[in-house]
Amino acid sequence: MRVVKVALAVTVALVVAACGGAGNDKGGSGGSAGAPNKAAGFDGKTIKLGVLTPLTGTVAVIGQPLTAGNEVYFKALNASGGVAGKYKVELVQEDSQYKTDIAVQKYNKIKGDVVAFTQVLGTAPTLAVLPQLRTDKILAAPASLDALWVREDNLLPVGGPYQVQAINAMDYYLSDGGGSKGDTICTMIQDDVYGEAGQQGIDFAAEKYGFKVANTQKFKVGTENYAGQIGALAGAQCQMVFLVATPSDAAKIWGTAAQARFAPQWIGQSPSYTGALAKSAVAPYMKQSVLIVAEGTEWGDDSVPGMKQMVADATKYAPDQEPDYYFAFGYNQARAMTAVLEKAVELGDLSRDGVLKASGALGNVSFQGLTGDYRYGPAADRNPPRSSTIFAVDPSKPFGLKKVKYNFTSPAAKEIEFKKADL
Amino acid sequence: MRPHRNLVRGYAQDLRLFGSPVARVGLALMLVTLLVLPTVVQDDFWLSVLIYSGITAIGAIGLNLLTGYTGQISLGHAFFIGAGAYAAAVFGGDLGLPLPVWLLAAAATGAVLGGVIGPFALRLRGHYLAIVTLGLIFIGEHIWRNLRDVTGGNNGTSVGAQATLGPVDLGALKLAGETYSRNQGYFWLVWGLVAVVALLAKNLVRTRPGRALRAVRDHDQAAEVIGVRAGRYKIGAFMVSSAIAAVAGALFGSYQQHVSPDDWTLLLSIQYIAIIIVGGLGTVFGSILGAIFVGALPALIDEYSSVIPGVATEAGGDGFISVFALNQAIFGLLIVLFLVFEPRGLAGIWFRVKAYFKAWPFSY
Amino acid sequence: MTTFLTNVFAGLALGSTYALVALGFVVIYKSTGVINFAQGGLLALGAYLGYTFSNNLVIAFGFAILLACLAAAVVGASVERMVLRRMVGQPPFAVIMITIGLLFVLEPLITAIWGFDNLPVRNPWNIQTVQVGQLVLGVRDLWTIGITAAVVVGFFLFFRYTRMGLAMRATAFDPEAALAQGISARRVYATSWAIAAALAALAGITLAAGPGGLQPSISSIALAAFPAMILGGLDSPAGAVLGGVIIGLAEALTRGYQDQLFSWAGDNVSVIVPYVLMILILLIRPYGLLGTKDVRRI
Repeated sequence: MRVVKVALAVTVALVVAACGGAGNDKGGSGGSAGAPNKAAGFDGKTIKLGVLTPLTGTVAVIGQPLTAGNEVYFKALNASGGVAGKYKVELVQEDSQYKTDIAVQKYNKIKGDVVAFTQVLGTAPTLAVLPQLRTDKILAAPASLDALWVREDNLLPVGGPYQVQAINAMDYYLSDGGGSKGDTICTMIQDDVYGEAGQQGIDFAAEKYGFKVANTQKFKVGTENYAGQIGALAGAQCQMVFLVATPSDAAKIWGTAAQARFAPQWIGQSPSYTGALAKSAVAPYMKQSVLIVAEGTEWGDDSVPGMKQMVADATKYAPDQEPDYYFAFGYNQARAMTAVLEKAVELGDLSRDGVLKASGALGNVSFQGLTGDYRYGPAADRNPPRSSTIFAVDPSKPFGLKKVKYNFTSPAAKEIEFKKADL
Repeated sequence: MRPHRNLVRGYAQDLRLFGSPVARVGLALMLVTLLVLPTVVQDDFWLSVLIYSGITAIGAIGLNLLTGYTGQISLGHAFFIGAGAYAAAVFGGDLGLPLPVWLLAAAATGAVLGGVIGPFALRLRGHYLAIVTLGLIFIGEHIWRNLRDVTGGNNGTSVGAQATLGPVDLGALKLAGETYSRNQGYFWLVWGLVAVVALLAKNLVRTRPGRALRAVRDHDQAAEVIGVRAGRYKIGAFMVSSAIAAVAGALFGSYQQHVSPDDWTLLLSIQYIAIIIVGGLGTVFGSILGAIFVGALPALIDEYSSVIPGVATEAGGDGFISVFALNQAIFGLLIVLFLVFEPRGLAGIWFRVKAYFKAWPFSY
Repeated sequence: MTTFLTNVFAGLALGSTYALVALGFVVIYKSTGVINFAQGGLLALGAYLGYTFSNNLVIAFGFAILLACLAAAVVGASVERMVLRRMVGQPPFAVIMITIGLLFVLEPLITAIWGFDNLPVRNPWNIQTVQVGQLVLGVRDLWTIGITAAVVVGFFLFFRYTRMGLAMRATAFDPEAALAQGISARRVYATSWAIAAALAALAGITLAAGPGGLQPSISSIALAAFPAMILGGLDSPAGAVLGGVIIGLAEALTRGYQDQLFSWAGDNVSVIVPYVLMILILLIRPYGLLGTKDVRRI
C-alpha cells in the first residue's frame, strides 16, 4: 500500500510540475492545477467520510468493532500523511440504530458534509438509503456481504459475498471435509434476507456439484427454543448442516443440538460466530462439530502481510480492541475507500461525480491477504473475490478460530454470476 | 353594551371550527407557516424529521379516532400502516397510478382490513381486545414475510409510488422557475394532507357520528339503550382509523422508497399510543402536537447529545449510556410522567393556557 | 413416536416458562385490575440479577435464584408503591400505558448496566442431558418443569391456607368489603406485585440457564405469554397455568411438524400459533377458558 501511495504522490508532483503551476498563483484556495477543488466534505485539506452504523442496540456488537476497524485504518493512514500523502481523513459517525427511517434521517443530516460514506451497516438500512444515494450521486460502502451490492454503481462492496462463502463451504465439505454427494445435506437459515443469501449459495452449489438439500429449517431471529428445528434435522438424519445465523441465535442452536446429542458436521456462515462462543459452555461441542467459513486468516497470523500490518495498527491505535473479524472487515472497507479516494485525487476531482468516476475507473484492489482481491470498475464489470477460508473452533487461539484451509476458491464459486437486482 | 366577543348564542356557533377572530388569525398563521417553512428551513435533515413527524401525525389522528374517541384499545396500528405502504407499492409503484389514486387505494385497503378486524371489537372488550390486536401485529408480520410477490418477503420492496398530481410532480417540483428539492416538495404534500385529514377528523368528531363515538366510549350498553348502534359505530371507527393509518403508511413508503416487514413492529404501535397519550387522548390537535413532540425529540437529543453529560456519542466513546438508550428511557419516562401528572396531554396544557387567556383579566 | 414425545417434552418445558409468566400477570390483574406489560422487563431484570449473583458474586446457583427472586420482588413492590399507587382510579388504558412506559425504562437500564453481549450464566445444568429410553431429556428442562410444578402447588396452598392469601382473594373479589374487614389494600397490592415480579425472575433465570446464554432479547418471551394469560382467562390462576401449557405444547408441536403438516401456512408458523390459537378460543369463549364473565350494569 505504501508503495502505491508513494507512487501516487510522485505522479501528482510530476503532473503539477508538468502543468507549470508549481507556484501559488491561486493563493490559498484551490492550490495548484493538479489538486482537486473543494467539494462537499472536502475543504482542501481534510476529507470527511460518513459512517451510518448502529452504535447502540443489539447490532452494536457488530457496529462497534467494525467502526473501530474503519477508525484504526484511517488513523494509520493519517499518520503517514493521509490520502495521496496529503489529505487527512476524518470520520463523521451517526448512529443508525439499525432502523431504516433513522438511517434515512441521519443520511440526510450528514450527506452535505461528506465526500462519501465509508460504512453503511445492514442490508435494510442500505436498501433504504440507496434510492437517495442514486439521486444525490454519492458513493457508499455497505457493511454487508450480500450479493445485491455487486452491481450497484453507488455502492462499494468489499469481500466475497455470502453466496460465495456458502459455495466454497460445500466444496470444502465434499472434498477435504470428508463428505460425499450422497450424504444427507441440510440447511438451517434465518428467516430474512441474510438467510436467503446463504441459501442461494447452497442451491447453486447443489446444482453444480450434484447433491440435494434434504431439509431446510428456518427460524425467526431471537427464538428461545430450537427443539423443534433440531428435532426435525435429527429426524431427517442430516449428516451436514449449513447454518446462517447471528451469534446469539447460533449459540442457542448449537447448545440445543449439543443437548439433543445431535452432532452432524455444522458449517456456519461467518456472521454466525463471535469470539465469546469459544469461551462458552458450548465450546467443546463446537470444537468437535463446527466449522466456520469466512475470509482472511487467524488473528495474529504473521504469515499474511495484511494481518501483520492490521494487528500492528490495532495495537498502536486501539490497544483495547479484542480480536474480532468485524474489525478486520471495517479495516478492509477503509482500504477500499482509500483506493477510490486516491484515484479521485489522481483524476483531480473529489466532488461526488468525481468519486463515482474514480470508483468506475478503479482496477484491482489488493487487501494483502485479509480478504481476496476485488476487481472494481464499472458496476457491470466488477468481480468480487471468490475465495474463502475454513476455520475450526479452538479456544486457545485469539478470537477462538484456527484456520483449516486458507484462501481457497472452488470451481463453482468461480462460475457464479452476479446480476443486477431489481432494487 | 355589546356582548363579549366570545359569547356563543347558538349550538351551530358553538361548533364552528374557527369561530373567534383569534382562531382565524391562528389559522392564517398556520397556513403561512406551512407554505413558507420549507423555503426558510432548507436543511434536509430537519425537513426529513418534520416529514416523518407529519406522517406520524396522520397515523396518530387515525388512532386517536379509534382509541381516544371510541375507547377501543388497539395495539395493531402498525399492521394497517404496513398494509398502506404495500398498497402504495402495488397501486403507485407497480401500476404507476397518480398520487390521488394510490392514496385513495391505500385508504380503501385500510378500510377493508379495518372492516375485517372490526367485528372482533364487538365480541371482545378492554384488555382482551388489546391483546388480540397485539396478536394482529405478529400475524401481520408473518403475512408480510410470506407474501413474497407483494411485499418482497424479507428483502422488503421498493415503493415506486410517485407523488404526481397531473403534470405536477411533488418529488421534483418546479414552480415559477424555482426548483424545489424532494424534501421540500414532500413537506408540502405531507403537511397538506395532515391539514386535510385533521379537517376531516374534526368534522367527523363535532357532528353526530362523533357524539355517537363518544357515547360508545363512555358506556356502550347505555348508548345502545338510547338508540346509538354501538356495533356499527365500533366497526366504523375501526374502518376509518385503519384507512387513515393506511394513508400514513402509503406516504411513508412513497417517501422512504423502500419498506420491509421489519418496519411494522409492536414498537411502532406502542409509539403511536404514546404519541396520542402525550398529545392528548380524544383531541385532533393533540395528535399533531404529540407527533411533532415525539418525532422531533430524538433529533433534538441527538443534536445536543454532546452537551448532555454521560452520553456516549461515538463508537467506543466515553459515557455510560448511549443516545439510543437515552432516547428510549426518556420516551418511557415521558409516558409515565404525562399519565401521572397530565393525563390530558399536551393538548390539555394548551387548552388550559387558552382558557386562562380567554377569561383574562378575570382568570383564576 | 420419539419425535412426538421429544416435542411434547419441549412443549412442556416451554409451557412451564409461559405458565410462570402468565401466573405473574394474573396475580397482578386479579388484585389490581391492571395488565402489567412490564413483566418482560422484570423477567429480564431477574435473569440478569441471577447472572450477577451466580457469576460475579459466585453464590451457589440455588441461592442465586432465591436472591434474584427476592431482589425482583423488592423492585416490583417499589414500582407499585411509587408509580402505580398514584394511578388508582384512572382508566385501565392509562395504567396499561404506564406499565409499557416502565418497560421502556427497564430495558435501557438493563443494557446500560450489563451491555448487549451474550452472557453465559454459571449454573449446574447447562446442556447436560438424561437418557430415558429412547428420549434424550435436557436437565434444565426437567428442572424447569419441576420447579414450575412446585411453585404452582405452593401458590395454590398460599392462596388457600394463609392469611395473606385469603386477604388477596378477598380484595380481588370486593376491595371495599375487604377494607371494611380491616384488610390493608396497600399491602395486598404491594404483595401481588412482589409475587408477580418474583415469578417473572424465576422464569427468567431458568430460561437463561439453558443453552445459549443470556441476552437482552429474553424479555420478548413475555409477549408470547400474553396469549397464555388471555387463553386461560385474565383472572384465573389455574387458567394461566393451563393456558401456558397449552400454548407451549402448541408452539413446540407446530415447530416440530412444520415441514410435514404446516408448510402451506408459510415458514415458521409456530411463531404465530399462540396468537391464532388465542383468537380462535376467544371467538368461542370471549372471557377465556376459565375466566369469569364480566357482569356489566348499566
